[in-house]
Amino acid sequence: MGMNRRDFLTLAAGAGAVATLPAPAIAKESETRVLRFVPQANLPNLDPVWGTQYVVRNASLLVYDTLFGLSSNLEPKPQMCAGYETSADGRVWTFRLRDGLYFHDKEPVRSVDVVASLKRWMARDAMGQVLKDRLDALEVVNDKQFRVQLQKPFPKLLLALAKPMPNIAVVMPERIANSDPFKQVAEYIGSGPMRFRRDEWVPGSRAVFERFSDYVPREETGDWLAGGKRMELDRIEWQVIPDAATAAAALQSGEVDWWETPIADLVPLLRANGKLRVEIADNLGNIGILRFNHLYPPFNDVRVRRAVAMVVSQDDYMHAVVGSDDALWRPMPSIFTPGTPLYTEAGGEILKGPRHWEEAKRLLAEAGYNGEKIVMLVATDIGITKGQSDVTADLLKRLGMNVDYVATDWGTVGARRAKQDPPSAGGWHIFHTWLAGLDCTTPATNIALRANGRKAWFGWPSSELIQTLIGQWYDAPDLAAERWVAADLNKAAMDFLPYIPTGFFLAYQAWRNNVSGIVKAPFPVFWGVRKQ
Amino acid sequence: MTASSSQELAIAPEVAVAPELPEIWPPVRRRRGFLGFVLKHPTIAIGGLLILVMALIAVFAPYLGTVDPTALAPARRLRPPSRDYWFGTDMLGRDVYSRVIYGSRVSLIVGIAVSAVACALGMMIGLLSGFIRWLDAILMRVMDGVMSIPSILLAIALMALTRGSVRNVIIAISIAEVPRVARLVRGVVLSLREQPFVEAAVAAGTRRFMILWRHIVPNTLAPLTVQATYISASAMITEAILSFIGAGTPPIIPSWGNIMAEGRALWEVTPSIVFFPAIFLSLTVLAVNLLGDGLRDALDPRLMRRI
Amino acid sequence: MLGYVFRRIVTTIPVMAVVALLVFSLLYIAPGDPAAVIAGDQASPEQIAHIRASLGLDRPFLVRFVDWVWRILQGDLGTSIFTNLPVSHMIAQRIEPTLSLMVLTLLLSVVIAIPMGVMAAAKQGTWIDRVIMVLAVLGFSTPVFVIGYVLAYVFALQLSWLPVQGYTPLADGFWPFLQNLILPAFTLGGIYIALIARITRTSMLEVLSQDYVRTARAKGLGFGTVLFVHALKNAAVPITTVIGLGVALLIGGAVVTESVFAIPGLGRLTVDAILRRDYPVIQGVVLLFSFAYVLVNLIVDLLYTVFDPRIRY
Repeated sequence: MGMNRRDFLTLAAGAGAVATLPAPAIAKESETRVLRFVPQANLPNLDPVWGTQYVVRNASLLVYDTLFGLSSNLEPKPQMCAGYETSADGRVWTFRLRDGLYFHDKEPVRSVDVVASLKRWMARDAMGQVLKDRLDALEVVNDKQFRVQLQKPFPKLLLALAKPMPNIAVVMPERIANSDPFKQVAEYIGSGPMRFRRDEWVPGSRAVFERFSDYVPREETGDWLAGGKRMELDRIEWQVIPDAATAAAALQSGEVDWWETPIADLVPLLRANGKLRVEIADNLGNIGILRFNHLYPPFNDVRVRRAVAMVVSQDDYMHAVVGSDDALWRPMPSIFTPGTPLYTEAGGEILKGPRHWEEAKRLLAEAGYNGEKIVMLVATDIGITKGQSDVTADLLKRLGMNVDYVATDWGTVGARRAKQDPPSAGGWHIFHTWLAGLDCTTPATNIALRANGRKAWFGWPSSELIQTLIGQWYDAPDLAAERWVAADLNKAAMDFLPYIPTGFFLAYQAWRNNVSGIVKAPFPVFWGVRKQ
Repeated sequence: MTASSSQELAIAPEVAVAPELPEIWPPVRRRRGFLGFVLKHPTIAIGGLLILVMALIAVFAPYLGTVDPTALAPARRLRPPSRDYWFGTDMLGRDVYSRVIYGSRVSLIVGIAVSAVACALGMMIGLLSGFIRWLDAILMRVMDGVMSIPSILLAIALMALTRGSVRNVIIAISIAEVPRVARLVRGVVLSLREQPFVEAAVAAGTRRFMILWRHIVPNTLAPLTVQATYISASAMITEAILSFIGAGTPPIIPSWGNIMAEGRALWEVTPSIVFFPAIFLSLTVLAVNLLGDGLRDALDPRLMRRI
Repeated sequence: MLGYVFRRIVTTIPVMAVVALLVFSLLYIAPGDPAAVIAGDQASPEQIAHIRASLGLDRPFLVRFVDWVWRILQGDLGTSIFTNLPVSHMIAQRIEPTLSLMVLTLLLSVVIAIPMGVMAAAKQGTWIDRVIMVLAVLGFSTPVFVIGYVLAYVFALQLSWLPVQGYTPLADGFWPFLQNLILPAFTLGGIYIALIARITRTSMLEVLSQDYVRTARAKGLGFGTVLFVHALKNAAVPITTVIGLGVALLIGGAVVTESVFAIPGLGRLTVDAILRRDYPVIQGVVLLFSFAYVLVNLIVDLLYTVFDPRIRY
């Protein structure tokens, strides 16, 4: 049958309303230059220094450009920079911008813009703050050159500038970058390959990006954030579809082209559809975590944290998170992402092998736990969080702990986990979340690892050993040295347990057959993507 | 909202309390006894029976071949219905049959408790504003205000204030229902206040509380009962919608709403997770609505005569 | 009449004030913290405090309330915390989808439900009546999202007659616009059809028992004429009331329908705002809803005079 029912209806209606229909020929030609993408979440804003959600980062990578870009082998490569020189003592870095860089308001990119942007970024980003502490001066040499002078060498400088882990060091025009780092910028103007169509933006529903015709990609082939970002599309429409069942249906019926985060259980269904491709999204995956509050009993006692770790079954967690497909996850007695250079299982025995229920119960009794309520914050609107929490509730119950399952939404968890009050007075004991595998490739970007007490990430672990080791990593001159530190760090973390990794899991992405050029990455890479 | 207020929903307040005129139509032979009642009010009978069955299911949940509805078994996830798992299993490997059976407890409790709380509060506010004139203006403006916020949005907002628990769901849904009850009761009070027997009681120096208690409250009961059934029906649906949005009862306590909400993303793959609780919920709400309709007809003298 | 309209509008002011105070204090005691949501996973407590201060969230309740009311009086609904866009702009973007959905649902419901109700009343006690009423109660008893999924599965995925999701503005053509709204309107209409059919039946039964109907029948007028001309007109008042009251119900159902069909409407905006604690947006939308509600009821009251000339204001 040449014509399906829907075409017929369209025609029938078209006969009555010819004037209102766009000419089909024009529609067809431009159709292949427009990509409709379902992002992981709503795009709330486009200020990647102010907001740190991954979705903000992903959109920002289209609109803004960075000085350096991370390649798929996790190396920083020049992007906006043409090159740089380093002094022999590693304390003076001079960078030169490449030619032909323009902002979307057609103004050229100058060193002053870069310096202002970096200053704003340093005020917010963790690695940026380390850089700021070591900084002597950050100054403009001329329109094309700028200089970083350090009190102490900073071997991780290029990584800091290139890393796509939030907050990212994007370049904005000086007038915008000079604003308060704690206030959202008023204009979204970058120098990246796509321009943001603010007039078409419907937050919660739609965000549109349009090719920036004055963008000059680098010569090299594109590789993640490094190399030439060559756009084969004129328009990228992000359509926010909060309901997974609806997103799946929209992809099946061809109303969208690419779905960033299909849930694993729907994958067989999508695979059964001959017009779709479903692949692993990112080999770096994600890492589920169980986070303790280290300020209050019982989890301020390392014995209680160990008791939990002894009985944790990463199998159970991962089944709850990714479903039945065992190819999608692996156990990881480590704080580092499996398959990346620093990965080590040193000291990870506590999470491996048979589970020690008797010893855990004994340890719990020894630590003096007697039935106090364990307040667990659960964001029931986020599947990964909820799945892990259900497993933990079951686990703690079997361990003889008294769990208070606080079911609420992510908005509340986000607020309540920031409270340092006692759990009985509005605080908490446990919450679950996950980290992007990319973020756990270095100790500096793993927020859950930081153990500087009340200044640390929610849960506020306090361990001088861990802090010292993170500091040592910053100064490690090469990969061998980094690996040494990583092994020590893993031992320390598995002993002290700032959090318990619940497993490493991969996620899928799915797209229509007529789209090509989609690569595996921790963020959607739109350059090089074509549509037929 | 002045003219519309007194005639909300199907039951005009004056209907239930209108003085009975002598029966002038030829008398119909009426059957008595249980069978007679069933034949005369089939909707009450059917609705009541269904509700009774659901209540029995809820009470005897542990004896109906169920297992622990919260027991996880990630190894046997998303099974279709089979002999071992009558309604299949969900994404955490829990037995959907057990969850649905136990879930009847939460849904029924929500239905009953919401109508009880809303009726009690609404009755109080309605009586107060019907009888104390200066309070009337204030209370009714507040009620108008509450009512003008769509009840589901109000319930979502209230749930955002607190944590998901059965109690909080009940409170959140009740608050949204209070104004409707308050208006209904106030309407009855206003129409009765001017009646001779009330005026006589006032003249005789009967205390206000006694007047309310003896003459007014009994007259509100009939319309209130009908209203209560509708409220409990809509409360059960609202509970499901709150769960759908992620602001309902916590998932460790199964309710029909949250079972469906959890399974909804997978409904194309494992429809049983959504299908079975949906059947139970629809049947129960249907039963409650039938009961409400039956009661309305039975308690409404004018309509009753013709049925 | 004009005087009445004016008085009615004036009396809505206290209602709106109550709503404003209610919503504002509700949000004030809410535990969620938009600063924490904005700051994201990476933030330290200090950074959150800083963001909170920059948003003005650390000021006392009364100061914030007065400031907010003052701005509203000047027509400024404020700026969204998350998107930095004016709330009025965000609302304006989303009015068309929600309004279109509601109007279409309303039309559909009235067209389907009133004949259903009249039919049921005319054939009172027969199996037709029973079937219609059971259908109506069923529409009442099924959660909106279940209806939505089933309709989308059958008509969009299996039969490919209609799109699964999304919204096309009216400006892009009437058919594309309608195509996207048909399934949502039927989904949302389920409960509304049930409501209207029931009230129509009840009111019709009441009217049919009146003397003048019997007189009309005695005069030899056709049953159909009596039903649709005499009786329905007199049953119109309660029916209109329920339609008016049902608008609040529609808004509630729209929240879910918009989620299922990914329609960028006000319902979804509100839920998102509540879940993220985007206070200015919540305040703005709820105020708008209550205003719409008051307005609809005013229109309903005015319609009474059309249907029943005895009612005067």
